[in-house]
Amino acid sequence: MRYYARKFAFYLVALWAALTLNFFIPRLMPGNPVDILMAKLAQRGGTVDPSARRAYELLLGTNSGESLLSQYVSYLGNMFRGDLGISVSSFPTPVSEIIAGALPWTLMLVGIATFLSFVLGIVLGTLVGWRRGTWLDSLVPATTVLAAVPYFWLALILVAVLSSAWGWFPLQGGYDVILSPGWNADFIGSAIYYGTLPALTIVISSVGGWLLGMRNMMVSATAEDYVLTAKAKGLRDSRIMIKYAARNAVLPSVAGFAISLGFVVAGSIITEQVFSYPGIGSKLLQAVQNNDYALMQGIFLVITVAVLGANLVVDLLYAVIDPRTRVSG
Amino acid sequence: MSLKARRFSRARMAAAGLAAVALLATACGGSSAGGDANKDTLIVYTGQSGDWQLNFNPFSPTTLEGPGTIFEPLFFFNNIRDVEPRPRLGKSFEWNADGTQLDVELRDDAKWTDGQKFTAKDVVFTLDLITKNAAMNGTGYKGVATAVDDTHVSIKFAEPSYLEGPQVLGRIWMVPEHKWKDIATPATDVVKEPVGTGPFMLEEFKNQAFTLKANADYYAGAPALKKVRYLALSGNQSGEAALKQGQIDWQTGPVPDIANVEKNYPGYKAITIPMNQTALFTCSNAALGCQGPQTDVAVRKAIYYAINRTQINALAFENTSSDISPGSALVDRDKDQVSGKLKEKTAPMQPDEAKATQLLEAAGYTKGGDGVYAKDGKPLAMTLKVVAGWTDYITAVDTMAQQLQKVGIKVTAQQVSWNEWSDARGRGNFELLIDSTYQGPAPDPFYNASYFYSTATTAKVGEAANPNFSRFSNPEVDAALNALKGIDPEDDAARQPYFDTIQTRIEESIPYIPVLTGGTTSEYNAKKFTGWPTKEDLYAFPAVWSRPDHSEIFLKLKPAGQ
Repeated sequence: MRYYARKFAFYLVALWAALTLNFFIPRLMPGNPVDILMAKLAQRGGTVDPSARRAYELLLGTNSGESLLSQYVSYLGNMFRGDLGISVSSFPTPVSEIIAGALPWTLMLVGIATFLSFVLGIVLGTLVGWRRGTWLDSLVPATTVLAAVPYFWLALILVAVLSSAWGWFPLQGGYDVILSPGWNADFIGSAIYYGTLPALTIVISSVGGWLLGMRNMMVSATAEDYVLTAKAKGLRDSRIMIKYAARNAVLPSVAGFAISLGFVVAGSIITEQVFSYPGIGSKLLQAVQNNDYALMQGIFLVITVAVLGANLVVDLLYAVIDPRTRVSG
Repeated sequence: MSLKARRFSRARMAAAGLAAVALLATACGGSSAGGDANKDTLIVYTGQSGDWQLNFNPFSPTTLEGPGTIFEPLFFFNNIRDVEPRPRLGKSFEWNADGTQLDVELRDDAKWTDGQKFTAKDVVFTLDLITKNAAMNGTGYKGVATAVDDTHVSIKFAEPSYLEGPQVLGRIWMVPEHKWKDIATPATDVVKEPVGTGPFMLEEFKNQAFTLKANADYYAGAPALKKVRYLALSGNQSGEAALKQGQIDWQTGPVPDIANVEKNYPGYKAITIPMNQTALFTCSNAALGCQGPQTDVAVRKAIYYAINRTQINALAFENTSSDISPGSALVDRDKDQVSGKLKEKTAPMQPDEAKATQLLEAAGYTKGGDGVYAKDGKPLAMTLKVVAGWTDYITAVDTMAQQLQKVGIKVTAQQVSWNEWSDARGRGNFELLIDSTYQGPAPDPFYNASYFYSTATTAKVGEAANPNFSRFSNPEVDAALNALKGIDPEDDAARQPYFDTIQTRIEESIPYIPVLTGGTTSEYNAKKFTGWPTKEDLYAFPAVWSRPDHSEIFLKLKPAGQ
């Protein structure tokens, strides 16, 4: 029991530290939302009367003259109540509404892509590790090269070939804008169709990591005595590979997968940018570009909580799976 | 156990296979959805990055749409051509002799889209609304409006306010009293169901796109354009890609190889209109705290003569820019107001290196061994801030740095983030930066001068200037600007002496070193719609984000073949 209490205490302290950083880091950025809004309107509208500045200051409430400390205290209070504030860049939409609108897209796209990439990497890694020394070994450098290629470049190449040149996939967006979002076949089909290429780029660029890790664990697992014993018993090769070697070799990858699920929330800023995909990553970019403190804090909070949550789950799972971790060393 | 597990895994594989097949099926079926459905829909991209958050409050700085299309002003001022304002909800207007009272006659056949009649009461309500809510008063309106009868409104000002006219008449969007009087916080309300008098109404809103439809009961007849759809993309790059695929019909922004738009994008045309003056903004006024060599007017003049504008135009702006007047007025639009007393009518397109060095030497600079001028042991070196990612400006800046190196001025380009740049610009923490100055609500050089050259719009270094970033301050210019406010804008003869003063003082000091007049380029689908503005018939400024100009264009567009 003390183990769990200690873990929870640690996570509470980590959460507080993260919340504090979330508050201070955006405020270290130069500029203020009103001037950026003015500059943006001037650039896009051509005419901004100087009187507009006063109006926008009043509107956005950025010139309250409150001290940083009292802002911090009210910020913590608001976070505790779940009030994330009002976004400045999408004024006057509440931050929670923006996040709620963007999060499902990212969760679906990056979540499914991460899962597919994991499964594919594990399956291929098992095969490659089991049949080491054959032509299958060439899969390792092939996929790691794809993982090493800068992601945005890979994505742009795929867009240029599959969307622009061949027209197999739509260029950008989350769904065909003629349709209405909802639980109907047209919309879901369209969302899947629009999401395929972004997901494909994520899978292609990340499968190499899982494959390499699994393959290396397989190599050491196949040298274990229990595999030799299984072979001596005359069991079928596929049975030894899956039930004996892979089952043991997959453990570290499962832990890694749980943690990477936490990062799914953070989304993939570049993916969403390249494909104009409506998700949390593009919202984060928007927040940073507009000095939208509230939106930045809100997104950081969601990311922090997701990563900490995933870690906590892994920690607790490990304690169940492997009793050794519960004993203080 | 093992048997069960194996069966389970087989089932899972089958499911995965099914999913893959389904995916392929939708992939084949989905692509032909667009096409015909969009035949008479104008699809526009405004340059907005990221998806839409509902906001149809015309007074909000983050409004998605409304000014001109859903909510109308009283008159439309074409700020690119010196022409009479075009009546919208108003019929005519008249100032009294000293410019303190504005009488407006309204049309009597306009209706709100919910069927109620538009009257003078709505106008008075709207004007009172922004007076009461300072956060909505983006035009600085300070009048008092009264309704004389249903079609006449009289607005009184405390001081001569001729030049407030275009703001009040052309930039305040009329809203219905019967709807808005019950809104508790009109400044922050998002106006989910906008009701206006305009030619268009909101059809539906989605975060990825929203659609306007023609108002069948519009007083001037239903517009020929039936629908306008606004797409949300991630930025200019994706706008360009969408243009290439024919997914959007109108966007404003440069594309590569602008000269050949008609060849590269079949069916599309491009139009470039000079509107904003690209300049090197200098923190020019040592009295307000500016530091650096650029506070010396000789240095600013030397830069002015040393840069090769022809080369910059070719390398950085694809020759879409045009010449610029050193006196802040627009060369083409304001040709009647450009002062004859200016030493140079336009800035020289070719460099005059001899003149630049002569200016520097006369000011006491001597050339050092490294080829860079110096004075009192300090080299003539400055940093020039430019926003990272603004590729045309970055090219311009790099080109200028090389050109200036030749005459012995060292300029180091510094790429900074948008936030850092706008912060430095506002507070005056810069030596040089590249940006452009913009125009006002009417075709009148007064506005640009009053925004960028007035003492009232500047501040000490360290405080935010708005928007006189160069800290230029000249009592003669201030006096002339003030005097212009009290002269009827129709009285050209009376105004010109003041314009002469303003422009010659600016030319002497050049706090914003003129580079070129920047062109705003739009690409539009000329095959699908006719009626676009042309250089010969520039009835509105053709930029998709320019409100309410875009509504004038929507009104003139017709689906091809009609």
